[in-house]
Amino acid sequence: MTRPYLLLLAALSAAPLGAQPALSTPRDSALHVLNRLAYGATPGLVERIAEEGVLRWIDRQLAVTAADDPGLRGVLARFDLLRTSQDELARSYFEVQRERRADRRAAVSDSAMNTMSPEERERRMPPEARALRGLLGQAPQLVMVRAVSSEQQLAEVMADFWTNHFNIFIGKNVTRVYLPSYIEETIRPRIFGRFEDLLVATAKSPAMMVYLDNAQSIMPGARPEQARRAGRRRVMMVLEERRPTGLNENYARELMELHTLGVDGGYTQKDVTEVARVLTGWSVARPAQGSGFVFNGWAHDRGAKTVLGAEFPSGHGQDEGVRLLGMLAENPATAHYIGAKLCARFVNDTPPDGCVDNAVGAWKRSGGDLREVLRAIFRSPDFWAPANRAAKVKSPLEFVVSAVRVVGGAPDTTPRLAGAVGRLGQPLYQHVAPNGYPELEKDWVNSGALLNRMNFAMQLAANRLPGVTVDLDRVLPATADRTALLDAVDRLVLGGKMTPRTRSAIADQIAQITDPVQARAFALGLAIGGPEFQRQ
Amino acid sequence: MTLSRRVFVRAGSLGLVSFGLDPLFLSRAAYAITRPAALPPNRRTLVCLFQRGAVDGLSMIVPHGEEQYYRERPRIAIPRGSVVDLDGHFGLHPRLAPLKPFWDAGSLAVVPAVGSPDGTRSHFDAQDYMESGTPGVKSTTDGWANRYCQNAREHTDTPFRAVAFGPQLPRIMAGTAPALAIDDLRSFGVGGRAGNSDRLSRAFESLYEGSATGLLATSAEESFEAIRMLKSANPSARGAEHGAVYPRGRLGDSLQQIAQLIKAGLGLEIAFADMGGWDTHVNQGNEQGQLSLRLTELGQALGAFATDLGEGMRDVCVLTMSEFGRTIRENGTGGTDHGHGTAMLVLGGTVAGKQVAGRWPGLAAEARYEGRDVAVTTDFRDLFGEILTRHLGARDLSAVFPGYSAGRSVGVIRS
Repeated sequence: MTRPYLLLLAALSAAPLGAQPALSTPRDSALHVLNRLAYGATPGLVERIAEEGVLRWIDRQLAVTAADDPGLRGVLARFDLLRTSQDELARSYFEVQRERRADRRAAVSDSAMNTMSPEERERRMPPEARALRGLLGQAPQLVMVRAVSSEQQLAEVMADFWTNHFNIFIGKNVTRVYLPSYIEETIRPRIFGRFEDLLVATAKSPAMMVYLDNAQSIMPGARPEQARRAGRRRVMMVLEERRPTGLNENYARELMELHTLGVDGGYTQKDVTEVARVLTGWSVARPAQGSGFVFNGWAHDRGAKTVLGAEFPSGHGQDEGVRLLGMLAENPATAHYIGAKLCARFVNDTPPDGCVDNAVGAWKRSGGDLREVLRAIFRSPDFWAPANRAAKVKSPLEFVVSAVRVVGGAPDTTPRLAGAVGRLGQPLYQHVAPNGYPELEKDWVNSGALLNRMNFAMQLAANRLPGVTVDLDRVLPATADRTALLDAVDRLVLGGKMTPRTRSAIADQIAQITDPVQARAFALGLAIGGPEFQRQ
Repeated sequence: MTLSRRVFVRAGSLGLVSFGLDPLFLSRAAYAITRPAALPPNRRTLVCLFQRGAVDGLSMIVPHGEEQYYRERPRIAIPRGSVVDLDGHFGLHPRLAPLKPFWDAGSLAVVPAVGSPDGTRSHFDAQDYMESGTPGVKSTTDGWANRYCQNAREHTDTPFRAVAFGPQLPRIMAGTAPALAIDDLRSFGVGGRAGNSDRLSRAFESLYEGSATGLLATSAEESFEAIRMLKSANPSARGAEHGAVYPRGRLGDSLQQIAQLIKAGLGLEIAFADMGGWDTHVNQGNEQGQLSLRLTELGQALGAFATDLGEGMRDVCVLTMSEFGRTIRENGTGGTDHGHGTAMLVLGGTVAGKQVAGRWPGLAAEARYEGRDVAVTTDFRDLFGEILTRHLGARDLSAVFPGYSAGRSVGVIRS
């Protein structure tokens, strides 16, 4: 393709349907930042931000220190999970496991369990197990409540970004028990801090250590000094397995490939093994000791190691791992890999070079201060470029949350709204692989998925979506005046940017509907399930 | 008018008003121009089953004739007494026993040392390479199953030519040729079983026709065409035949629905399903335990599928694949770590069955990959390519597996 043609294409794609080229009003800018730094608009929010000043709003979002919106405290108080310690959860979990083993021995064989219907299994579940399951089931819905209702939108977006970057899978053994503290204590307090602190915190988190097996990676042949029977049995319970006897490279590999350097970050299989040796002994304490991080000196490989050419002299125990993580956090490959990933999230699926340079520059100047890296991205010309507006397709989470926000809905405390995100292809905390959910349009847009989004939109617009309360009469009063209805839907859902084609398509569809309530449901559902609302 | 023709016409008029012209969209449109007029859909179907997480090939196809196998795996080897023997040297894991009748009937072949020429032990890279079909090359944007559909143009696309079961389209089917991701055939559509579903469907169709751009437009188009075809063929009404009983769970559901699509004659040429839970670092188990539960589901689902289709298996080939195998020696936690070569199964009417295909390198220390893993003696592209050529009738694989010239004949498909 010749260059002039490319330029022509660029010009065409920047100018929607006869609009003046790239004249950005404060409302347009407000809509853009709400689409990227937030989970979309709520009724009236575009206007309020335009009035406050978009840059001021961004600064306010960046100034958050602890992701804890005071306005949400009342709602969050209804989540028992937030009042239950990791230790309590772990004790309860192991108690349930013990009962289940006893139960299995008594009557039900594996295969019988497998052929049972979910209802039968539910019925057979002992009360404590059911209570625990209910408690842990609150975790995905907490995500929904915060993402929909928090004023600290950027904090919620970043909590999602880092949780996904340091992905764990709750289906793996005891990981689900460690999830709440992973979210509340490991990730959320550090989203605007230094990357190294976040990295070290995840490395020490029981959730990550169990998910990627470091908890059981030990120097081959090592044994606990005090092999008291009772103590050993409890350790084994924590790990849900026989006593570990060797090295496990799983975390070491993903630490470099996915958490820091990136797959082309210049490490070798030998480095992976050496990193695993450095991190031997990093494990999880048993429930009686708080189920937190523990360094087991007995499991640590005391030999000398070399990682990425750097010598790790023997005998420095836990400090070796801390030094290693610092080294990885400071590696330029890490700044570039994560800078590009942030630009892909906030700017364009194909991160523009200029934006990545800005992010990397800020990373270097600030020593990996994540707040400053974000600030640099939001100040980057690429972030504001017309070509990058509405250039990204929403992930299922972004779609569901933005749809609920746009109609001023409020999720309840049941897992039902989180379930809707799962049905659209992004079940929270259930991405098995450590790479987390993908970010790109091509990963989310396919025919089946689009139909699911349309169905979701119709349910929401008819106020039949389980798990959400919507006061449609408040945000979009039913009216027999079709022009007024279309204007209101446009303003509410698309920030007043509905294309004439969409408008006439929706108008055609509601022309034959006489009941104003039905017409409203149809128009609203089409707008939310339609193509323009899939973009951000 | 065919689907793609309509997509193209629309693409032509939309180009000028779209917000974002992305390259994938443009190439889809270009693809539509050059597509030949309607031909009858191909009768043959390939079903790909991805075992995500790297299955332990040595537990699936057990080299029970090898002492070394038992020496390396004191806790997790499958005892000789319970292996389902195939040829005196190899045998099936006991939980794969439902497949033995197909071996005996000559429609099951096993390839015990197949894999990628790339040595990565990263799940994501290795899965990516196996799905993109370009080991070692990260920049490939589409999957090999999609490139097959792009290039084998002697067959007509129906929306069901390439179908992946699951909420997301997997890498293997990503690309410019239309491909469909279906979570569940029974609820595929807009409005579910509600009375107004036809009207809703029409409403959304006109909306996307008018305003969608890029991938959103083409995907929507594919959806609505598919809805119309499903409505008239109604494949879900077809129950399992010949006494086949699918196991509960996603894999059984997917395979049953693949069988329904095949029976309904909707032009399904490549189907894809996947199954997780194979990354057995810890407590893998032997004939009992974690891995055996996954194999139970696999064996039952495959057995039910072949039984259900019966004579229909004549035109069907099922291929299992996994990104790599696992270490020959069991690890310190009763499991196995990431390895290299693994085993794949090929089942169907065109299969030259009852054979262990490809060279078996053995488990001796000097025969291993990097001293620890099963060596790869069959490049996965040799196996996949042979199936595309001999089973589906592909004429030219140069675009499907770029940079790769077909190597040895694996001989799993009758020529």
